[in-house]
Amino acid sequence: MQARRSGILFGSRPEDAHWDWRQKSQAIGGMLGYQSFAVTCQDELQGLMMLNDMASAKLGNQFGKPLIYVEFVATAPWNRTSNQEPPKYRGVGHVFVLTAIEASREAGFRGRVGLHSLPDAEPFYERKCGFTRLGPDYSHQNLTYFEMTETQAEAFRRNH
Amino acid sequence: MKLSYPKEWFEQRIEKDGNVEIGAGVPTTPNHVDSADEPKVRRIDTRIAFGQFVTLWRRNKGWNADQLAIEAGIDPEEVLQIEHDPHCEPEPDAVFRLAKVFGLPPRALMELAGLVVQRSPQLREEAIRFAARSEPIAALSDVERQAFEAFVTALSEVKD
Repeated sequence: MQARRSGILFGSRPEDAHWDWRQKSQAIGGMLGYQSFAVTCQDELQGLMMLNDMASAKLGNQFGKPLIYVEFVATAPWNRTSNQEPPKYRGVGHVFVLTAIEASREAGFRGRVGLHSLPDAEPFYERKCGFTRLGPDYSHQNLTYFEMTETQAEAFRRNH
Repeated sequence: MKLSYPKEWFEQRIEKDGNVEIGAGVPTTPNHVDSADEPKVRRIDTRIAFGQFVTLWRRNKGWNADQLAIEAGIDPEEVLQIEHDPHCEPEPDAVFRLAKVFGLPPRALMELAGLVVQRSPQLREEAIRFAARSEPIAALSDVERQAFEAFVTALSEVKD
């Protein structure tokens, strides 16, 4: 219904829910330890990401070490093929993964990054970015948890 | 932080990857507040009260569903769904617009509609009492009007 009113393709999918920035900022606004990043193009918001530096790694060889956790990341509805074909812009995901890695390096975490992927994005994080899949996490709505090691981060930065 | 990567880095990655979904993070918007500590039945019982409240509010004004939809700037179908289908989760935006028309705290109506975690236990009790005492028939009876006014008072006391 919101879609009919606004003409923008909004639905009830988790990807759409992530584009509710008012809700996000209310939930996290003002808390230290969170960093937000935006991708804009032609004066229009194309994607947003929020990171926190308060998490620790779960993957065996880096277990317990601090990492940058991607609290959430989303592209604008018009950049998602589920809403619009072809999407208006592509590549927002790469910018954000690179940004998360750089934030990790800046914090002294050597590129370690963790995130819970939405189901449709799992191939992107696993195959395109090289994250390690750790499996579904019951404490996070059963979303699959992925983690990137220092080596994987370095490979992502250099691999082109 | 500065991302000093050549433009080609992005172009090559994006070209190779095609169209991908990238959403990550646990959805936190009202559409996705399913959790063990907020059973669905609670949301449905207050939502019944919400629907009846909307019906009685407009009848008290002498409005039909169409007029309320116009005043709120929402779809008439949304008004009807809110009034008659407690299983249908209303759009947060629609509830917010209705709250503005009613001159009531949006937080109260959002709680009533089951879109946010309930913070006011008394509100739920008031809602159930209200739903039990009101029946959407022709004109407002004195009993209905009393129930309606008592409920408006309870809603007004919820802090935003």
